[in-house]
Amino acid sequence: MLPEPTLNSYLMLSAVLFAIGTAGVFLRRNIITILLSVEVMLNAVNLTFVAVDRFRGQVDGQIIVFFVITVAAAEAAVGLAIVIALFRHKEMLTPDAFTSLKW
Amino acid sequence: MDALLFWILAAGAVTASVLVIGQRNPMRSVLLLIVSFVALAGLYVLLGSPFAAVIQIIIYTGAIMVLFLFVVMLLNVPTEEIPIGRAARLLGGAAPRRFGAVISAVLALELFWAIGRMTVLNMPGGDVKPTEVHDIGVRLFRDYAFAFEATSVLILVAMVGAVILARKEPR
Amino acid sequence: MNPQIIAQLIVIGFTFFMLLNSAAILVYMERKVAAFVQQRYGPYLVGPKGLLQPLADIIKLIMKEELRPKSADAFLFYLAPIISAAAAFSAFAVVPWGADTDFSTLARLLFLDKLFGFKGLEHPIHLAVADVNVGLLVIFSITAMGVYGIVLAGWSSNSKYSLLGALRASAQMISYEISYGLSFAAVIMLAGSLSLGTIVDAQAGYWFGFIPKWYVFIQPLGFLIFLTAGVAETNRAPFDFPEAEQELVAGYHTEYSSMSFAMFFLAEYVNMVTVSAVATDLFLGGWHGPFPLPDGFGWIWFLLKVLALLFFYIWMRWTLPRYRYDQLMEFGWKWLLPAAVLNLLVSAYVALRVNGW
Repeated sequence: MLPEPTLNSYLMLSAVLFAIGTAGVFLRRNIITILLSVEVMLNAVNLTFVAVDRFRGQVDGQIIVFFVITVAAAEAAVGLAIVIALFRHKEMLTPDAFTSLKW
Repeated sequence: MDALLFWILAAGAVTASVLVIGQRNPMRSVLLLIVSFVALAGLYVLLGSPFAAVIQIIIYTGAIMVLFLFVVMLLNVPTEEIPIGRAARLLGGAAPRRFGAVISAVLALELFWAIGRMTVLNMPGGDVKPTEVHDIGVRLFRDYAFAFEATSVLILVAMVGAVILARKEPR
Repeated sequence: MNPQIIAQLIVIGFTFFMLLNSAAILVYMERKVAAFVQQRYGPYLVGPKGLLQPLADIIKLIMKEELRPKSADAFLFYLAPIISAAAAFSAFAVVPWGADTDFSTLARLLFLDKLFGFKGLEHPIHLAVADVNVGLLVIFSITAMGVYGIVLAGWSSNSKYSLLGALRASAQMISYEISYGLSFAAVIMLAGSLSLGTIVDAQAGYWFGFIPKWYVFIQPLGFLIFLTAGVAETNRAPFDFPEAEQELVAGYHTEYSSMSFAMFFLAEYVNMVTVSAVATDLFLGGWHGPFPLPDGFGWIWFLLKVLALLFFYIWMRWTLPRYRYDQLMEFGWKWLLPAAVLNLLVSAYVALRVNGW
């Protein structure tokens, strides 16, 4: 039979998802995909909270998840508004196009 | 049964996430991310937190991803990635990407090493009793009341900010 | 196999089957009620009193040619109606349509105890597919997922007008979701639970011996807000501008034909049934009637109330003119949302006073 998932398996899954999100932020050159990778990272963190919650028998983790999701919503809203403003300016969505503040 | 569900949902979440960062078409990325979120919501239910699962689906897939979809559709985000100019080729060329890939690989290896060194901690056995929403409500509004109010101010600020940022300049 | 499991499976199959039938019944009901409102006869040729008309409609839809615009994204084009229909059916999974029963009365009536020695189950089962303890939020979340069907339909049709119509429809749906949620937040406060079965059980009993303890009497404004938001959610009646755009420009399901189109309309009718069923469970006392029926027959009351609400839905569609889109959004944000918030605040205040500060 399959092995029962332990806390370690949940943490490992969370680490895998976090690493995937980080890779996405580093490697992709489309601002929207970068924002999506940030969401993947936030979800990995949420999974850690809920898994440890179950392990310790508390509910604090779920409340923190609630706040993380809410903050992610606010961040996505503002991030996408910035993307829209940028796109209106330059018709491009690669982060390399917006380098006017570089030396 | 629970173990099988865990492995299926975990495989689904990881596959969908890998495809999210691998897809060229941002529309497909958004849809695959929704699949990943739903798999994670299933994992939350397995962990006895139906409230977290439902909140994830309502807010993340029901609202945030709809917002992403709207932006992708309205801006008609292009699929190909086109470098422009010398500066961009410097920034977007092969070397920074290799550097980024190495950094992410190092992060992944560190995390796996750290978790691998943990002693194996088993989840409390027996039937998973789903958490009562009543308990969550009591903790949320008593111990975390300040965070709750601060979050509502944050959302207000984000709403106003988003409207201002995305507004067309009056010509 | 365990008779409990078999009984649960039969309940699940029966619920699904009845949902499909309800779509067919609604097709007929809509056309007949529309006809009587407009002082004409409606379908009367196919079958006695036109009762087989839905069958004729289904056969016609199946026989039509399945078209797809060439430049449309094929996968998303076929996925969109599936998402709509799946979300519509899944939302009904947490709605209980009868009291917990152990089928003893049914066994006696159908002579099952004499024929098979079956006297009823050991433990009563819920008459719902899955009555989870966060049931109301599950309905809310699956309704939120239904928005994707519309958005993907508009996008994959690869036509400017379809896309705009779909974006408008989905913006309308997510705007009215907030008032929808706030109106049942007040009911949750009164009942103290998110599970629909518990909420219905909290409405058992009578005041003064003859007024049933339904929440519609305590929360009339909440009931009206819930129904209005529900009608807007299902894109029906006075709020169907994105759909009726077909008469003017093009709606999100213009490019669909045959079975895909049928799936969208199936989804719409099943959504109507779900909203009516949830309204019945939350506000109208579910399966508790004005006078009690013998055990195991509460579902008759449920059915009657749902039919009454569906009749009200159809009646509204053919009586009221439709809102223009900006009027619709203004109404949702500037009038309905403050009303829902006010309703919640007043209910909270009264609940606190009644229970002592």
